[in-house]
Amino acid sequence: MRPNWLGRAALTAYFWAFAAFLFFPLAVLVIFAFNQSMTPTLPITGFTTHWFHQAFSDTELLGAVVRSIEIGAATGLFATALGIMASIGLSARRLRLRALIVAVLLLPLVVPYISLAVGMLVLLNQAGLQISLWAVFGGHVVIAMPFAVLVVLPRLRSLDPAMIEAARDLGSNEVTAFGLVTLPLLMPSLVSSFLICFITSFDEFAIASFLAPPGQPTFPVFLYTGSRAPGLLPELIAVGSLIIVGSLGVIALAEGGRRWAERRLRGITAEAAEALTDSGVPALQI
Amino acid sequence: MATEKVPEVAAGTAPQVARPGLARRPPRVRAVRLRVGRGTLVLPPLGIVLLVLVGPVVLLALYSVNLRTNIPGTSTAFSTANWKDFLTGPGNPFRGRFFYSLKITLLVSVATTVAAYPLAYYLAFVARRFRYTLLLVLIAPFFTSYLLRIVAWSDIVLNNNGVINQALWALHLRAHGNGLGWLLYSNFSIFLVLFYAWIPFVSLPIFAVLENMDHQLTEAAADLGASRFTTFRTVTFPLSLPGVIAAFVFVLIPTTGEFIAPLYVGGPNNQLFGNEIQSFFGDSPNWNYGAVLAVALIVVVLVLMLVFGRFLSTDLRTQRGGQVGR
Repeated sequence: MRPNWLGRAALTAYFWAFAAFLFFPLAVLVIFAFNQSMTPTLPITGFTTHWFHQAFSDTELLGAVVRSIEIGAATGLFATALGIMASIGLSARRLRLRALIVAVLLLPLVVPYISLAVGMLVLLNQAGLQISLWAVFGGHVVIAMPFAVLVVLPRLRSLDPAMIEAARDLGSNEVTAFGLVTLPLLMPSLVSSFLICFITSFDEFAIASFLAPPGQPTFPVFLYTGSRAPGLLPELIAVGSLIIVGSLGVIALAEGGRRWAERRLRGITAEAAEALTDSGVPALQI
Repeated sequence: MATEKVPEVAAGTAPQVARPGLARRPPRVRAVRLRVGRGTLVLPPLGIVLLVLVGPVVLLALYSVNLRTNIPGTSTAFSTANWKDFLTGPGNPFRGRFFYSLKITLLVSVATTVAAYPLAYYLAFVARRFRYTLLLVLIAPFFTSYLLRIVAWSDIVLNNNGVINQALWALHLRAHGNGLGWLLYSNFSIFLVLFYAWIPFVSLPIFAVLENMDHQLTEAAADLGASRFTTFRTVTFPLSLPGVIAAFVFVLIPTTGEFIAPLYVGGPNNQLFGNEIQSFFGDSPNWNYGAVLAVALIVVVLVLMLVFGRFLSTDLRTQRGGQVGR
């Protein structure tokens, strides 16, 4: 129920106070990225872009960022592909042991990453394998895949089966119908899934800290060891502020895209309703 | 149906280009093919989870009962000694650490859920047109690097020369150089960082429930003479409880295994259970004992999940679940 004006004012103030609290550390990080002093403390001594230059000439730091982007992108693609497979499989009308299959597929959501990380370490040891970025990638795919399923499956269920049936009736086989009809209709959810899986991997520390080999850290691992060395902190803050501004930018873009699509859709339906009314059909409620 | 006899064979062999006179295959045959084809698609994702997740967990279980070991020269025979020591050993430090962690986790879960409720309420009933955009404002920090946000808290905001202490000195609220000691490496800093990290996420399920609530029910309560507060207490809040419990679980489960925040903002006495596991596989490799802790953590989380899981979305458990949210 909509509160009275006093309640509305109080809730609005509460919300924006919380928004400020949430963005405060992010803002602080960006501000101190431009601070001249070696240590990130007040008062701010002067404006400089020196730390960005230093960060961009630090090959170890850049290597870690690139490594994380590569593993993140690979995780995004692979986990989304697996998510599509799982979603189609689960949408089969009859599936034996459905409840068990769902439980196993969603298990990575509840098993703590630290337990998974040490378990994978033990498994690699048992199999006589070295820790490697491939192992990190494997771990990231498993923890990201449930998110892909949770994003793709509802979208797949909301599709009108008549569209796929129409494609089949027009002579395409199951694979072609999937490629030409289902996949394009799933596309918005696939983009979301890719982004969520990418972020899950890019930000993951537990598995990477145990399985990334020495000399090949991912960005979170590099950040962890680097932030212990005072000399490295300013350039880490600089790169960190770029990453934060970048991710906020992507989110703003995605939201802008959603609002644009919504407005366009509303425009089209309004036009259609108008056209129908003009042609004598009683007004539709949209 | 004259064509019914032919395609039994045609469908079973190679996919054929529609022959003239056979433009439509009978639906019965297609249904059979679909069922076989689709269901098997769950096998690759299932296989990867079994290999990368279930395999390691089973192996950890074997280590925890000493059927495998990484310590050279020790025999491997079934033994529950490590479990007994962890569960019943008098004054076992790891069990103590576990209960300390559980206390922090419960505190964080309750606090975030309580604090998130008004946020969700604002979005659902006050924000109106811009509610999805404002929801995104709330969640956006969650999608930036967790580690970076912790670094910002520990190295810039809370430390002894940090923003908060500097501000207190500048405002002459405390003598210069005499910072608040409990800001960092304390229970407070662990709580604050975990609270901060999870609150955006926690408001989501509460918002979803409030958003989908039948407004006629609150109107009916008002028509029957209930005050705003009574309406909230007797209608809105009870109806939103599934979202509240889901929110509680959303933060309880991941924070139970938390170990990153204490690395930055915890002192030696504020390390969580996850840090104990970490050190058994890092600094002092005794995998057998570490496996006990790692498996115990999984068991606790699974039990929590079984207790609270039925309050979470049933979307996946039924074949045709209702959709939540947009």
